[in-house]
Amino acid sequence: MAQLLDQIPWAEPLLAPDIDPAWEAELKRRGGNGSEVDRRVAPSPWIREACLGVNTGRACAISAHLFNVAALVTAQENACRYCYGASRSYMQMLGYSEAYIRRIEQDVHLAELNEKERAMVAFCRNLARSRPRPASAELDGLVHLGYTREAAREIALWIALGCFYNRITILIASPPEHGFEGWVSAKRLKFLLLAPLMRFQAARRRRGKRDPAATAAALGAGVYGPVLAPLAGLPGAAIMKAALDGAFASNVLSRATKALMFAIVARSLDCGTSEAEARRLLAADGFGDAEIEKSLASLESARVPAAEARLLPWVRDTVHFQTAQIQSRTREIAAALGNAAALEAIGVAALANATVRLAMLVE
Amino acid sequence: MNDSASGWILVGALAIALPAFATWLWAGRARQAEQLHAETRRRLEQLQREFERFAPPDLVERLTEGRGDVAPQRRQVTMLFADLRGFTSLCDRLDPALTVAILNDYFRHMSGAIGQHHGHITELVGDGLLALFGAMETNPWQCRDAVLAALDMRKALVAYNEQLKAKSLQPLQFGIGIHSGEVIVGVMGAGELNKFTVTGDPVNVASRVEGLTRELGVDLLVTEEIRKTLDAGFRLRPMPPARVKGKREPIQTYHVESNDA
Repeated sequence: MAQLLDQIPWAEPLLAPDIDPAWEAELKRRGGNGSEVDRRVAPSPWIREACLGVNTGRACAISAHLFNVAALVTAQENACRYCYGASRSYMQMLGYSEAYIRRIEQDVHLAELNEKERAMVAFCRNLARSRPRPASAELDGLVHLGYTREAAREIALWIALGCFYNRITILIASPPEHGFEGWVSAKRLKFLLLAPLMRFQAARRRRGKRDPAATAAALGAGVYGPVLAPLAGLPGAAIMKAALDGAFASNVLSRATKALMFAIVARSLDCGTSEAEARRLLAADGFGDAEIEKSLASLESARVPAAEARLLPWVRDTVHFQTAQIQSRTREIAAALGNAAALEAIGVAALANATVRLAMLVE
Repeated sequence: MNDSASGWILVGALAIALPAFATWLWAGRARQAEQLHAETRRRLEQLQREFERFAPPDLVERLTEGRGDVAPQRRQVTMLFADLRGFTSLCDRLDPALTVAILNDYFRHMSGAIGQHHGHITELVGDGLLALFGAMETNPWQCRDAVLAALDMRKALVAYNEQLKAKSLQPLQFGIGIHSGEVIVGVMGAGELNKFTVTGDPVNVASRVEGLTRELGVDLLVTEEIRKTLDAGFRLRPMPPARVKGKREPIQTYHVESNDA
């Protein structure tokens, strides 16, 4: 049973806010909201870009309503106090009734949710949870119920991006947006009256056009290309691609560590496609087949710098976790590696979880 | 006011009052339904928490959600049997309450070490326990996890023995046997007594290997199946092949001395 908001334990923040006036101005210019998360991930260029992308990203094949429900369910399923609280308050701000939100949270199949919505909620829970791991048949199930193939893929993409963002906020233990939550709660009546206008604005903010630049060839060209290529045309695909390219171009952690972290998450979720891609990256770095196998079996490698060795067993625990335990383990990682490397590792772990969850759906 | 006007006023009043009454009634029912649902959920959660004392939380979640993936299935699982040595004779000399307190503390220490490495205890029989790795879901590191759990159990026992020594109580000793193989996992039992467990020849082998620890005078033995999956960081000492009940050929075991990693 997924936890409700007040049941999720939450640790003290792992990272202090990093106030960078230039980045704050940039955030404002690009529609970001300067959240607690934005300030804490600011030192890593690719992570802050990806987080901003998730917060301001647009969808072309699914409605804002589905988008909001998917964000809420994914955050709840991942037991992310930060995102869950923010999603809940955002939905209240848009005039969703408390009863409606509760029904989604408690997975109550009442008449207010139609069959397509119920299937989408179940899909969100299954993909976020991945226990047991879903496969392409789950996407086909959504198509069978009347979603277009593109809409089904876009739902999966945003759940994956939700899993990425949820893990970032969980692992850095970003403090919840109590200010926003309290403000919405205090103005419930006002928001109920303004609901149609708020929803219209919110829908406009999220509504996007197909992205002509996100062709299968362009998406398929870089790291994890085979996983990204099926997302051609979706405006959110660029966020994922930029994050993957940025993560592997960054030199805060060694490339071998990052590729092994992806391979370990892939193996944890029994995803052959993702593991094959990670192996390709490792092979390009000079790893032989036997060496890769040995590293994956032992969760260690002589090619990984000593300081980063502890990331290999840790990343495995970011796949399925109890919030309190993983936050405590991540604190140990940060104490050993320092904040810059810990933030990078958090980003890579979050991205690996998102990527592998998408990859499972092409199998 | 004539009768006709009064009649129209009455009709008008009813036209307003009846829908208002119906709405009030409906809202009341809806509120009741919400309260009933909240109460049902609260009870279900309480039941789930209670149930989690007896079965792994993952399993409880699957059962409470009515998911069909607890149906019996064949799976590669690693079994860890642990048994206290000489505890039965110790029981005869100690106060029953103290005996149970020692046993509970021992299980708490062992359970922590096992849970830390992705395993869960499925059976407690007397002073023995059976822990499973990879029974709930695919775990490619299950053999390694089981051995690391056993090494942590060894450390936990040393720490617990210090506590016992401080209370002038006799230290505990255990034997652990680990083996891996394809078994049937599922909810098994009869009538009102059901549990999530495993069955199959590898389970018997793991149990026999635990028995061999006594015979070979060591605390932790693994089989060839486990050894094959471990890297060089684990220091293993081969033991003489030994015959066990139910096996025609002697089985090769290894004493796990340490893990240098």
